[in-house]
Amino acid sequence: MADISPLLPVSSSDGSSDLTGQATCRRPIKVVVSIFFGLLTVGLFAALLIRNNGSVDYVDVHENERGSLASMAFEKAENLKPVSRGLAAGVSEKSNWVFGGDLPDHPWNNSMLSWQRTAFHFQPEKNWMNDPNGPLFYKGWYHLFYQYNPNAAVWGHIVWGHAVSKDLIHWLHLPLAMAADQWYDKNGVWTGSATILHDGKIVMLYTGSTTEGVQVQNLAYPADQYDPLLVHWVKYPRNPVLVPPPGISPNDFRDPTTAWLTSEGKWRITIGSKINKTGIALVYDTKDFINYEMLDGLLHAVPGTGMWECVDFFPVSETENNGLETSINGPGVKHVVKASLDDDRHDYYAIGTYNNRNGTWIPDRPNIDVGIGLRYDYGIYYAAKTFYDQNKKRRVLWGWIGESDSEAADVKKGWASVQSIPRMILFDKKTGTHLLQWPVEEIDSLRLKGKEFNQVRIQAGSVVPLDIDSATQLDIIAEFKIDSDALEKATGSSDASFDCATSGGAAERGALGPFGLLVLADERLREQTPVYFYMTKGSNGNLKTFFCNDQSRSSKASDVDKHIYGSLVPVLRGENLSIRILVDHSIIESFGQGGRTVITSRVYPTKAIYGAAKVFLFNNATELNVTASLKIWQMNSAFIQPYPNL
Amino acid sequence: MNNTISLTLLHLAFCFTLVSFTPISALELHGTGANMVETTCQKTPFYNLCVSALKSDPRSSGADVAGLAQIGTDKLKAKATATLRQITALLKVAKDPKLKMALRDCADYYNAIVKYDIPVAVEAVTKGDPKFGVEGATDAANEAYACGRGFKNQPKFPIYASNKVVHDLSAVVASIVQLLL
Repeated sequence: MADISPLLPVSSSDGSSDLTGQATCRRPIKVVVSIFFGLLTVGLFAALLIRNNGSVDYVDVHENERGSLASMAFEKAENLKPVSRGLAAGVSEKSNWVFGGDLPDHPWNNSMLSWQRTAFHFQPEKNWMNDPNGPLFYKGWYHLFYQYNPNAAVWGHIVWGHAVSKDLIHWLHLPLAMAADQWYDKNGVWTGSATILHDGKIVMLYTGSTTEGVQVQNLAYPADQYDPLLVHWVKYPRNPVLVPPPGISPNDFRDPTTAWLTSEGKWRITIGSKINKTGIALVYDTKDFINYEMLDGLLHAVPGTGMWECVDFFPVSETENNGLETSINGPGVKHVVKASLDDDRHDYYAIGTYNNRNGTWIPDRPNIDVGIGLRYDYGIYYAAKTFYDQNKKRRVLWGWIGESDSEAADVKKGWASVQSIPRMILFDKKTGTHLLQWPVEEIDSLRLKGKEFNQVRIQAGSVVPLDIDSATQLDIIAEFKIDSDALEKATGSSDASFDCATSGGAAERGALGPFGLLVLADERLREQTPVYFYMTKGSNGNLKTFFCNDQSRSSKASDVDKHIYGSLVPVLRGENLSIRILVDHSIIESFGQGGRTVITSRVYPTKAIYGAAKVFLFNNATELNVTASLKIWQMNSAFIQPYPNL
Repeated sequence: MNNTISLTLLHLAFCFTLVSFTPISALELHGTGANMVETTCQKTPFYNLCVSALKSDPRSSGADVAGLAQIGTDKLKAKATATLRQITALLKVAKDPKLKMALRDCADYYNAIVKYDIPVAVEAVTKGDPKFGVEGATDAANEAYACGRGFKNQPKFPIYASNKVVHDLSAVVASIVQLLL
């Protein structure tokens, strides 16, 4: 080949320079070709240079900044922002830790942290907990198992914790039920459910993460069926009983449900998964919980909802006020499908009709299908699971309440997460569209002295202190009456876009709201957590009521969640507005309209703690006077402790 | 004639070499290792940092998203550990009590990041429950943010740069793990 060394300078920008001297008949073509490639070279090289200048070398970030340190005011670091938990770029701009409030010099001292521990909500003595598992009633005891990390106050090394209670309120800790001691659950003894067989025996199906990180379903059962405490558990020697089927990722196959009977007398379970971004529920039939046949069809699927975790499937009566055993079907029975959405960490449910023959379910209202409609709870609430309590003929719901403070604080205080107070679930006959959730009646046994407040008039724009002694362990039942004249007179507006989450919270004054209660508030209202109603009137005269929980001023600390939670709550003609609130240190569970809309939140005040916490009524509406009647009880501790002398 | 051909060929050869170093969207369809990094990093809030961090590890070529998440957490762990060492060293020589207090708070935050947040992220990704990984990485970012806030009233913030990298890289890792949901 020709000697190309004189051409090497081509690698600089002017590739065509050495060609201008040649004079032959081909010169015009050569020149054109050379100029073309020359310009192409220039263009590409320029593009490469620009690209390199735009990227910041990983190491350079450190060095570039050093020079300007001395003059660096903190405010300049506006690039440094709190990051949205679970809502990474592209999904939502809203940050989890809304920046606001002064930062105390030492944010968390031991006094503030130890106050946060709850008195009557289930939590282990220390460390991390998440999903409730295998709840059941057996030989006089209620059992709760739960995802637990025995080593730290953060998620990891998950095994099954265990506790028992006679009344769903006073819990006694038992030894760990299952550890990660087999290849098929070495990487995690994950969520599962119990089924009580015809002869009263219990089988437990749970997900194991194998040594290879594959999600499989395993069978376990009590070592001794005569032990009412069910302390020891045995794993079926030939686990796993189910592995991910073809087409399903080994990471998308978990949380088997309680089984129900088919009309052919087989047991049927469902397991959540996903295909691309469609959340699905797979269905399996079995006679012995060891061999399974997968149905061709799915129980249900909803596009765009992502992975369905902790699927739950259960019947509710349209007419009776009791729960239904999981296998019940027939006229007057609707079925609920519930899924925990991995993508947004919320629990969704939908009411519909189950077809036993082909194992499918259709929602009554596809526009509020699973994952795109109603939620059990509009606050911090996840991985919920129901069980049929044959003792009191009710369906009871458990839900995991995580922390909304920083992991550093959790590590400092040595624990993280609580379970909600168990809730009775009923179909809401009045609306026909919602489920009702209400704390189990046994919680009333914790009530100590109560104080009644009758017909307290709250003028527009006022705050009324309620004189009770302590305000950190409370059961509040309140009813609010509004002048119907004021509702009539209020001008309707196209305020149709109100949403608790995007509103200005309890400080945003509307004609017909907000009004409600301030809990965990200090005397000067430097910290306060409003739980309230906000009504809007559309231009067509239609009234809408929203039920919200505002955390924006709940604490002076800056490293806690400051979001506003809530949702629309259906209010029927003739109904008064009602709220029930359970306050238990750092957890608030609020029930609107008898449990039609529920909000649980975690609150971490720095001042409104111990004796400084107070309760107020408030009415921040501009055109509405409100009258409230309420009863407030001090709540005793549940003295949750290890089972004695085990 | 020969000169023309060889000149043209050389130009062509050189142009194609350049083309292969310049990102062109058509290349993404072929899914080479370098492009997995770029497409993944486009979905994070700090693209350039993401690309630099991942590419500085040879494992990144040919890695899938889970692999990139692992690499990202490894980088984050290294950076956070180094920053914690910086903080400890500064604490030894700091005299001003307010500076010491801010540094001590940062040491707490960084202990949490290194001992808890990052291991949670690693475990969540390897064991297949990524949502906890998103949470761990996000917490690391927020703790770096909180560390920075402690210097709000300080004239100097000696670890500003490292802290920013830890914050930003945590946010990057959180976004990558989010893709595994």
